[in-house]
Amino acid sequence: MSQFAAWLSLTRWSLAIKVHEWVIPAVQSVHIVAIGVVLASAFMIDLRILGWAGRDQTLSETTARFSPWLTGALVILLVTGVIMVLGEPARELLAFSFWSKMCLVAVGTLATLVFQVSLRRHPTQWETSLIHHRGIKSLAILTFLIWVCVVVLGRLIAYDHLWGSWSMSPKA
Amino acid sequence: MGVVVDVAEGLVDITSILAALEATSLADRLRESLYLFPLIESAHVVGLTMVFGTIAIIDLRLLGIASARRPFTSVATDTLKWTWLAFALTATTGFLMFMTNARVYFHNIYFDLKMGAIALSGVNMMLFELTTRRSVNRWDRSAAPAGGRTAAALSLALWISVIFLGRWVGFTTTHATPTVEPDADIEHLLP
Repeated sequence: MSQFAAWLSLTRWSLAIKVHEWVIPAVQSVHIVAIGVVLASAFMIDLRILGWAGRDQTLSETTARFSPWLTGALVILLVTGVIMVLGEPARELLAFSFWSKMCLVAVGTLATLVFQVSLRRHPTQWETSLIHHRGIKSLAILTFLIWVCVVVLGRLIAYDHLWGSWSMSPKA
Repeated sequence: MGVVVDVAEGLVDITSILAALEATSLADRLRESLYLFPLIESAHVVGLTMVFGTIAIIDLRLLGIASARRPFTSVATDTLKWTWLAFALTATTGFLMFMTNARVYFHNIYFDLKMGAIALSGVNMMLFELTTRRSVNRWDRSAAPAGGRTAAALSLALWISVIFLGRWVGFTTTHATPTVEPDADIEHLLP
């Protein structure tokens, strides 16, 4: 992986990002704005499932309001994330925080997709029974916590030495 | 002349207050711990993304871009309490980070601009509360009047600026990271 990171850091794209010092902080800022959209959108859907918000609306209405924003922001996160990896390959690809974050992103995205497809196929079942299910409510809380952990691990990429020998990055 | 002297004395006072903040035992602990600063910074990011995300929900309703047909008051009651909770978390963690290196942050132009942008969005919010919000009964279920749309556009622009400025603070200040792990024995580092 460190060879791959070294190769990547010498590619045209990586060099182009590094030449302009403002690119990384600017892309990180866009990344954070998009995280805000994902976190708040997931939060509102989860609150609706818990019955703590949006009770004047059906679960389908709430999901229709927030899921396009959630999906759109996830795409922006992917694009800005790729730019950050290209700009600083070793910082990201050798970080334990980065790979554990990627695993949680996969789980969070999968959970979101499964939920959206299931809601579209069985809307009445969701509105009448599933939403009152204790297990579903726990899953809503769990999904939100996964996104919170994704944010925390994202910030901890900058401090990967905290993981000790789990981190592949050379000690700063 | 007297004014100039007053300003100078005011600056001295602020510098000594900042130095006193840095000298507190709490600031010491935050600087010395390997884990505290990164964890506080992570909580800061969770808080600020929630602040921005929940405010954006309100702003997009005012702009008529999303939740346009839902009553404004329903959108506001669903989100604002969480905005304030997240803001409390963000401000607290932000202040803790500020303490560790108060003089450097205070004299950082991006930090000052960021605080200015937060203050402006506070003013923007108060003006909205005192004007457009007062007549909410007339537009709760329809499009917000021009004043509300202006406030929303300003709010979005200001909070996005706050996020950018915050990232620039991080890139232009160096917070204290210990060069030696606290429990590492210095003898082992010598050849």
